[in-house]
Amino acid sequence: MKLIRMTLSGASALALLVAAAAAHAAPPAGRLLAAQCAQCHGTNGQAVSGMEKLAGESEGEIYKELLEMKARIKPDEIMHRQAAGYTDAQIRLIARYFATGGKTSTTTVSTSTSSTTTTGTSSRSRSRNDN
Amino acid sequence: MMISHNRRKILQASGALAAATSVPLMARAQAAAPRVVVIGAGFAGATLAKYVRMWNPAIQVTLIEPNPTHVSCILSNLVMTGALGMSTITLRYDNLRNKYGVKLVADRAVAIDSVNRIVTTQTGNRIAYDKLVLAPGIDFDAVPGLDTAVLPHAWQAGPQTLALKAQLDAVPAGGTFVMSIPPAPYRCPPGPYERACLLADTLLRRRRAGRVIVLDANNDVVAEPHTFHTAFQTTYASVIDYRPSSVVTSVDWANKTIHTNWGPIRADAANIIPPQKAGKMVVAAGLLGTNPATRWAPVNPLSYESTVVPNIHVIGDSQGTGQPKSGHMANSQAKVCADALIRYFAGEAPDPAPMTNSACYSPITSTTASWLTVVFGYDAASGLMKPVPNTLAEAPTPSGDHYEDMFGWANNLFADSFS
Repeated sequence: MKLIRMTLSGASALALLVAAAAAHAAPPAGRLLAAQCAQCHGTNGQAVSGMEKLAGESEGEIYKELLEMKARIKPDEIMHRQAAGYTDAQIRLIARYFATGGKTSTTTVSTSTSSTTTTGTSSRSRSRNDN
Repeated sequence: MMISHNRRKILQASGALAAATSVPLMARAQAAAPRVVVIGAGFAGATLAKYVRMWNPAIQVTLIEPNPTHVSCILSNLVMTGALGMSTITLRYDNLRNKYGVKLVADRAVAIDSVNRIVTTQTGNRIAYDKLVLAPGIDFDAVPGLDTAVLPHAWQAGPQTLALKAQLDAVPAGGTFVMSIPPAPYRCPPGPYERACLLADTLLRRRRAGRVIVLDANNDVVAEPHTFHTAFQTTYASVIDYRPSSVVTSVDWANKTIHTNWGPIRADAANIIPPQKAGKMVVAAGLLGTNPATRWAPVNPLSYESTVVPNIHVIGDSQGTGQPKSGHMANSQAKVCADALIRYFAGEAPDPAPMTNSACYSPITSTTASWLTVVFGYDAASGLMKPVPNTLAEAPTPSGDHYEDMFGWANNLFADSFS
């Protein structure tokens, strides 16, 4: 192992430094939430077969569709139950993530996280009180 | 607090190493590249490895798994009936290696040194980690007299799936098939009921139907009660004899007899699914703590880090958050854990409000399927993952459309986890 380390070229040392720095990058908002759609709709929304692709759909389209689903749950629609699991603010983050492919700027994203987390909590507790 | 403290320790350790031995800068950089080691490449372990690398290729991921492929339990009851071949449920690791740069170690982990953070494998390989993720699936309690080489449980798919198929194919016309369901929690809540339906369906279609006796250790159907009560009482009323609160106490297969808390039952074929607990490595690492009644690893659901031993995370069937044990859920938890690991190496706390979800389709006949779904959210007050109101539901009726959707679901879940 030591031998391998000592024979590393300057270029790979640089690559390792870059890699080490990149290890400190924080995740963009919405990414983890959006990843929870991938079990059925494919990694990054790129469904392989039989399910709707979410990648590249507009933010407004995904947001509106999910809000409609959870507002009027039909018993034979599995997706309506899934939509009911998320607050409007979480749905907004998911929609934005799929619409932009996660390429929203860090500044925009961190602002929206802090503002939506509050909204998310209150709307979740409202829906719990309703039951 | 704990997180930044740990991170500081890593940084201090690498700095100290550099100062003490005067190794060049490049070695320091390498020491700082975080190392995640994963044990077990089922739905949980494969998804974790893939997503950590996809989201942050600066983190090294080593995946230790002795099997060359993963054979999915999902859809495996359709291999039992002969509707599908083994190739459909056999999932390869090539993409984890080639597309995401996961380092695969084809070996079995045998020991964990959680103080020095080293995993030892069967061949004596010693693999160091900063964070260790255990995804070993399930282990089984011994049932007195049960030899699973003779009577396969087929609750881990693979050769046992084909052995169970052979059992089904050999049932004499009018014969009795006894199957048993272990106490909850166990892997795949609707799975045993689905299997009972497909055994009955296959025997009916082959005009060999005698009886399928279902011995359920639970006092009622554990998942999709409406769907399975309807199936047992109408669709399969002539075949299935469902017996709740029935526990298999021992098996005497030389005399084709299953002993239960209600007395002995004669059988021509049997599928005894034993009670389940966390995988062996979870126990070996001491993650169950000191209470012998603990069967699943207690973890913090924000990161899936063990609450007993630091820097070891447990995802999938072995973790004990109370969320259902399934491939879909394992994939879901793996993403929460992957995100938490990435944040940890960035010196950040985990996402404070993680969500997970479960969705699954169960074939009820050879042409129809049902579904079951629920969404979980983190409840800060209790520190638990709780079902979000209005999200737990089963399909009102099994249908052909659901049967078709089942393959869309499975194919996407397979791909999202393994490729």
